Formats: sequence, structure tokens, C-alpha cells
Amino acid sequence: MPPSIHPVDLILALRDKHLTPAIVFLTSRRACDEAMQAFDHSQILLPPIRQQAIADVLEKVIAQYPSIAEHPLIPTVQRIGVAAHHAGHLPSWKIAVEELMRHGCLDAVFATTTLAAGVDFPARTVIITQSSIRKSRDFTDLTIGEVQQIAGRAGRRGKDLVGFAIVTPSPYIDLNVLTKGFTGHPEAINSQFLISYPMVLNLLKAHPLDQIQPILAKSFAQFQLNQRAEVLERKLDGLREQMEPFGPRVCTDWITEWQTFDQVRRQKSHRAPARKHEPPEITARFHFLTPGRVVGIGRSRGVVLRQYRSKGQKSPMITALRQGGGITESPASTVTEVSDRVLDCVDAPVYPWCTPESVEELLRHLEELPGRLPELPILIPKDDEPIPDAIVQTLGDFACPTCPSRSACQRDYPHASKLRQEQQRHLKSIQALRTSLWHRFQEKIDVLQEFGYLTPTAHLTADGEWARLIRIDHSLLITELIRADAFNGADPAMLAAVMSSIAHDDDRPGAFPRVSSGLGSLLGQVRKLALSLSPHEDPPLLRADIAAVTERWIGDPSLTWIGLCKSTTMAEGDIYRLLARTLEFLSQLHTLKGTHPGLADTASRAIANLRRGVLEELP
Amino acid sequence: MTTQELEQLLAQQPIALLHRLARGRVQRHFRAGKRRLIEILLRHSAENRAGFESDLMILIGERPARPIPPAPQAPAVRKPKPAAPQHRTTHRPVEPDSHEPAITLSSWLDGLGVPPPKAFVPDAWQEDAIAKLREGDVVVSVPTGSGKTYVAVEAARRAIAENRTVIYTSPLKALSNTKYTEFSKIFGADQVGILTGDRRDNGQAPLLIMTTEILRNLLYDAGGGEIDIRLDTLGLVILDESQYIADPERGVVWEETIIFCPGQARMLLLSASIGNPHDIAEWLTSIRPTPCHLVRHSTRTVPLRAGYLHPNGKLMPLFRTIGIPHGHPSHLHPETKRLFAQYEDETLPTGRRR
Repeated sequence: MPPSIHPVDLILALRDKHLTPAIVFLTSRRACDEAMQAFDHSQILLPPIRQQAIADVLEKVIAQYPSIAEHPLIPTVQRIGVAAHHAGHLPSWKIAVEELMRHGCLDAVFATTTLAAGVDFPARTVIITQSSIRKSRDFTDLTIGEVQQIAGRAGRRGKDLVGFAIVTPSPYIDLNVLTKGFTGHPEAINSQFLISYPMVLNLLKAHPLDQIQPILAKSFAQFQLNQRAEVLERKLDGLREQMEPFGPRVCTDWITEWQTFDQVRRQKSHRAPARKHEPPEITARFHFLTPGRVVGIGRSRGVVLRQYRSKGQKSPMITALRQGGGITESPASTVTEVSDRVLDCVDAPVYPWCTPESVEELLRHLEELPGRLPELPILIPKDDEPIPDAIVQTLGDFACPTCPSRSACQRDYPHASKLRQEQQRHLKSIQALRTSLWHRFQEKIDVLQEFGYLTPTAHLTADGEWARLIRIDHSLLITELIRADAFNGADPAMLAAVMSSIAHDDDRPGAFPRVSSGLGSLLGQVRKLALSLSPHEDPPLLRADIAAVTERWIGDPSLTWIGLCKSTTMAEGDIYRLLARTLEFLSQLHTLKGTHPGLADTASRAIANLRRGVLEELP
Repeated sequence: MTTQELEQLLAQQPIALLHRLARGRVQRHFRAGKRRLIEILLRHSAENRAGFESDLMILIGERPARPIPPAPQAPAVRKPKPAAPQHRTTHRPVEPDSHEPAITLSSWLDGLGVPPPKAFVPDAWQEDAIAKLREGDVVVSVPTGSGKTYVAVEAARRAIAENRTVIYTSPLKALSNTKYTEFSKIFGADQVGILTGDRRDNGQAPLLIMTTEILRNLLYDAGGGEIDIRLDTLGLVILDESQYIADPERGVVWEETIIFCPGQARMLLLSASIGNPHDIAEWLTSIRPTPCHLVRHSTRTVPLRAGYLHPNGKLMPLFRTIGIPHGHPSHLHPETKRLFAQYEDETLPTGRRR
């Protein structure tokens, strides 16, 4: 059996059951394009009347947007009545497909799931072939809301009595996700309150610092945080009730009192045996006293030949070859220093614990060693912090041993202390929930003060005044670039190219035109700056190849859209979106005409060059 | 068949078949590995060898012919690949199916067609939403394609009649453009304007269409003292697709817009079905001068049916009921269940086909 139904069979089945028009959601743009290719030699033609209807509608759209007149999909659309609609297409093509759908001319549209969220054109039937979508490189299961959004395209009000959502299996499908999505209740949505630099600047422009906290408290984010805090507060009330029977006894804070007393009691009993053990320095050092290690013993020096723990001797022992040739057994505690040198030494199982040759070798090396050797840095693990003697002394001062409620305290302590710990944990998280937004805001203020956009009293500096107008992603990078005069003398093409590489956030690979050397070095500077800002703002991808596409389009006014598309493997729709986003960034720079007339002028010239051909014809 | 032959035949079968064979014969057979399972099966088949063999033949016969694996000694249990998400299906506890008989394809397809043309009558929830807008802000959460646009248009019409400015925002520029065309047809071209990052058409019109980012920027500039637009005559702000408030990157823009929206303007939030619209309504009530009403509606205007199309072209209902059995995801049509299981069986990497 094929892993999924062939597009031609799919259309035939739908036509047969009168389930057209349909939207077929496929996993990728490529799947959509391949589905369209499957119709290249197919003979399931539309009747001439309907072909004519499609031609009429297309003609009208082409009159408005001439760029799609030569679109390679048009013959298939006309013959079969199917079309593809995805982000790789120009908006004008998408408009044409939407228009055709609205007139009911098409039998099916192959689309990616991005369509579900974007423009709305309903159909009688929706075909679902996947249960997961690509979200920033990973495939994640569709949420219930998303399944319903997709299925919701089925059934046109006033044109259909019923809508159909049809699942057809493909290797990417998990039927459970879909059935749950159909029958379930959509998920709750959560606030995503990102505090950005322009937001901080704009808020501080309009409101003094002491009014900011109430404004943040009005956000949906805080509303939801408060909801969570309230849940915790209810839990806290419950805990308080549970704590009531453990209310004040002889001492008000009996839990702490008992805890200290108990700890001290335990510590005391532990202390005595701990003394018998070797000190931690010795234990730590002993690991390094391996055969060949150069050590200082007393005032002379030696090489460790073996180490052992003797039953007769309480302390760990080493056998060392001393300067002068003597072999001695000594406790590890007599080692005064452990150097970082290890000499080669061939072990032997009996005295002298290494081969006679290596004894001589070792002795020779030992004599040759310099007078001072660097010491091996050995970390000594801290023993359990012993309770200061002062407290131990006062163990007798505790009231507990003779207290009338001692038995009650002893009995209730484990439960009560657990409750109290929980109480304290809740209190801490409530505190965090109530203030987290404000802290995040303050962090941004600190950064802006460090960079000089805000005065220490959190007023806007002269730089802050214009920087607040840059309200796009990576605003800190852009404003820093402007302050560093990075665009001084840059021509419109270069400026737009840098902006587009900042704006572009897709890492789809492909073939692209070459970067000019001037742009390359400018991008190098931008990259350096972006890297230095990375603790405060995620650096953009800054792809040079993407920048080159924009540079060519703006730098060469005679370049046609087709010519641009031929220079790269990027899809038309992607190029369009790149340029549209660059336009957005440039128009933000254009708003700085008051403070940076030169830059604003370059930006507006870049905009003028950018808006031609396909970009001009579209709204 | 000698015992040895039988043993060899069993060893060639997939473990799933052995488990099916062991069902009812051996207790706790799922604990055994393949070799152990064969041993147990042989021991238990001693009493009724004929019945055992015929059951085995039926089970083998059910599966299409397959090439015999080169090594007769099959490896012990082959672990299913964890990467195959489809496997979850088989291990879920199955909730009891409903006992009504499953519907047939023809009754499922029945009712397909075009409704007779009739005059448009607004639904009760649509009227409700428009009426409630007189008293305060409104949050609308209804399924996709229920007619949110009608509410937006009617609300805008009333506000314009009172000489108030209306701002309509959508999350995408493309949507803004579609709505601009649509509203221009309804209200007349001179009544509708559009503002995008680089386009400004008819900026003085009473109904302005823009993306939410643009409105946010306008509100910021107004807050900074540079009045750009007639915010004092602003009567209604319509935020379409307000479920975008949960968008990881752009959601904050919706929040900012709502926080800074002037108090005298009414807000109309149109959203697809979401799980917690009451939270949004409560939040608006807590920060805005007028109380916020929630209009919620979960049945679709055009009923929806779910189907299953097998790759061989066979169409079946997905569920055993004609509509969608809300809250019962396991009420699958038995035939669909079988077809899908068969599909999984044949396409899964752990199956016999590679």
C-alpha cells in the first residue's frame, strides 16, 4: 500500500462523493508543489465551462497584478481546477487563489498549515494529512485549538449544509492527536509578556518610573500570575488551618526552638566518633600519593613507591624512596608537601616495590629536580560545618529537656516542620509571582542605563528620545549601530542589505548571489557588535547571503523580479517577505529624520528603490 | 506437523501474532520473551494440538503473504522503535465504546449539499454581542467560520452612525488588506481607511484598518504627547483574532494595545475558540472602566463531520456517530479503526515490511 493517497486519486475520490471544493493541508511547501506536479499529465480535466470560469477570474486578477500572468501553475489550475497556496508564493498569487476559491471555481487547494492561521477562505471539505507541524525547526503535535482551527475551514456558511473534515493517513500522522483535537475542548491560552527595550523607553517617555509598576500590573500576564498566586494563597490558608493545632506552646516559635535543640543534640553525638577519623586534608592528599609522586617528607624530599592502609597503623601509610637512596615507611601525615611532579616508576609487587633499574632512575631524577617545586592544588572537602562550640556549650541552656510540652513537640515536630517548609515555599513563590514582571522590567532599565539611553533617574537621554522610535526586533542592535555611525557613508543598497540580514530569521539553506566586499566588511562589524550585545539581546542570524539578495535588488534598478528570483534558490514568496520586512525596518529608520537626517535620507532612497516591480503592485 | 516443525513455524511469526495466539491459552503471556513464549505455547498446546494448529493457521492466513525471514532463528523480542509515535495508539487503555451501532457511509454523507438561499438572519449570539457592546466591552469566543465578521461590521456601523471613529486591527498585513477590500464594499470606499507600516490610504476615514502593531505604536505616540490620530473621538476598537495574545513573539502587542486603549472607547475582542475566554473577560473588567461581557458559543453554524480516507481510496466516517462525539475521542468507527490499524501495520518500520 502507498504511504499516502496519490493526489490524483484524492481529487477523483472527492469529486466522486461531491466533496469539492476542498482544502488539502500538507506538511510542507514541497509536498504542495509535488502534488501539483502529479497533475501534469493527468487527464481528469474540468468541463470547458468551468475552465472558462477560471480563466475569467484569473484574467481579472491578472489585470490588477500583472506579475502572476506568467505563473507556471496557471495551466494546471485551468485544466484540473486545483491550485497550491503556501508561503513560498507571492502574495498576488495567493490573492488569485483565494479569489478563485471565493468564486467556487476550484476543486481543491493544496496548502500548508500556515494558511489555517492566516487568510480565511472556507471550503466544503478539509483534508488533514498530518498531526504535527513544524515550529521553529521541531515538529510538535497539533494542539486542540489548532486542529479545530484547521477543521473549522470546512463548511461555508450559506453554501454548505454540512462541512467535512477528512483525515487521510500519511507517515506523519497520529490519529489520536486528531481525534482528541476534534472532540476536545480547546486549550487555555497564556500570556506571553515579553518586555522589550522600545517598550521600556516608550513607557518611561510617557510615565514617570513610579507609575510603571501599576501599569505592568494591568497586563494580562500579571492577571494570570495573580491567578496562580491566588491558588497558592488558598493553599497557604489551608496550611495555616492545618498548623493551628500546633499553635504556640511554652515558647512561641517552638518549631524553630525544637529544630535547633534537636540538631544540637544530634550534632553532639556525632562529634565524638568524627574525631577518631583522619583529618580531611590527609584523606584528600592520600588520593594523590600514587607511585612516582614527588613529595616532601619532613625537610627532605622523596618519591612515593606505594601507598597502603595498614591495620596495625591507624593512619594511611606510604613507602617512599628518600633522597640518598633510603626506602622508608611513614604515615601519610608526615608528608609536608605534595608536588605536581610524577616520575616514571615501574611497579613491582615486592620490596623495593619497583624494579631496581627504576630505583636508580628515580634517584637520578630526584637529584636533578629543582629546589622549589610547584605544589599540587588539592581541594580539601569541607567537613560538615561543625556547630560553633558556643552553641554546644549552651545545650544545657535549652529549656526543652525539662519543658512540660517536650513530648508533644517531639511528636509533632516532623509534621509541623514539613508544613512550615511548605508554607515558606509558597510565600516565596507568591512573592516571586507578584514581582517578577517588575523585576524583568528593572533588568531592562539597568541595561538601558548602562548603554546611556536612560539617565540614572530613569529619564530618557537624548539618545533614548530617538531610540524609542525604533520599535522592531533587535532594536538594541540597530540603535547601537546608529550610535556607532556604522551606516555613515553607506549607500542605500548597503543599508537595506544590513537591515534585511537583521530582519531575516529563517535558516533555510540555498544558493544566493555573492556578497560585495564592502557589504561583507560592514556585516563583519555588525556581527561583532551583535556578539558583544548578546548578553542583552539575542543576536540575529545576520546571513550575508540574504543581505546580498537585497543588495542586488536595491543596487541595480534595472534588475527585474524574474532576474532576482533566478539569482537565488529562495522561493518567490520568501524573497517578497524578506523585502517587505526590510521595508518595514527601513521605514522605522526613516522616522529618525529629526535627529539623523542623513540616515533617514538614505533609508528613504532605499525605500524608493525597493518599491518597484512586484513590490509596488501589491498593497 | 511434528513438534519441531511447529516450533520452527512459530519462531518465524512476529511476536504480536504469538501473543494473540497465547491469549486465552497462557496466563501472563505478555511477560515472556519470544523464545520463552514459544516454549510455553508448545507446552500448553499438548492437550489440544489440532485446535492450536488451526488457530495458528488462521492467524497466519489473515496476514498477507510475506517473504520468510532469512534466519529461521528470529531474534528475541524486537523492541518497537521509540521514534514511531503511532505506537501510542496500541498501548492506550481503551475506554468503552458506545453501544449504538456505527453509522454507515451513506448516512454520513447524507445531507451534503447547498442550502436553499434565504435571507440572512443573525444568530442569537451575534445579536447578543452587538447588544452587549452598548453596555461595555465584549469578548467573543466562537468557532472558526461562525460569523465573527458580521458582529464586527454591525458594531462598526453603529459606531460610525454615532460619529465615532472605529479602528479594526488584524494580526497580518494580508488580512488587513482583505478586510480593507471587504469593508470598502460594505461601507463605501470613502468610509474606510488603511494604515500599514508603509501605506496610508484615506487616513481620515471613520473606519480605520491596521495591524495591531500599528495601533500599539499610535497609542504609544499618543501617550508620549504626540497625538497622531483622533483618539478622543475613538469609539470602538475591534481586535480580530485576539487569540494571538498567546503568540510567543507578538502576544505582548495585544496586551499593550488593550492596556493603553483609551477608556472612552469600547473594545470588541474577536477570537477563535479558546479554553479560557472568561479569563480574558475578567481581565478586561479588572483594568477597564466598563465591565466586559463574554459571548461564547461552541456549536458551529455549519455542522462538521469527520471522515477517514484510506490510501486505497475508501472513504469512511471517522467516528461511529454522525456528528463529532465531543468528549469521546475513542468512539471511532470500527471499520475506520480496522483500516487505520492495518495501515499502521503495513507502514510502520517495526512491521515486516521495511
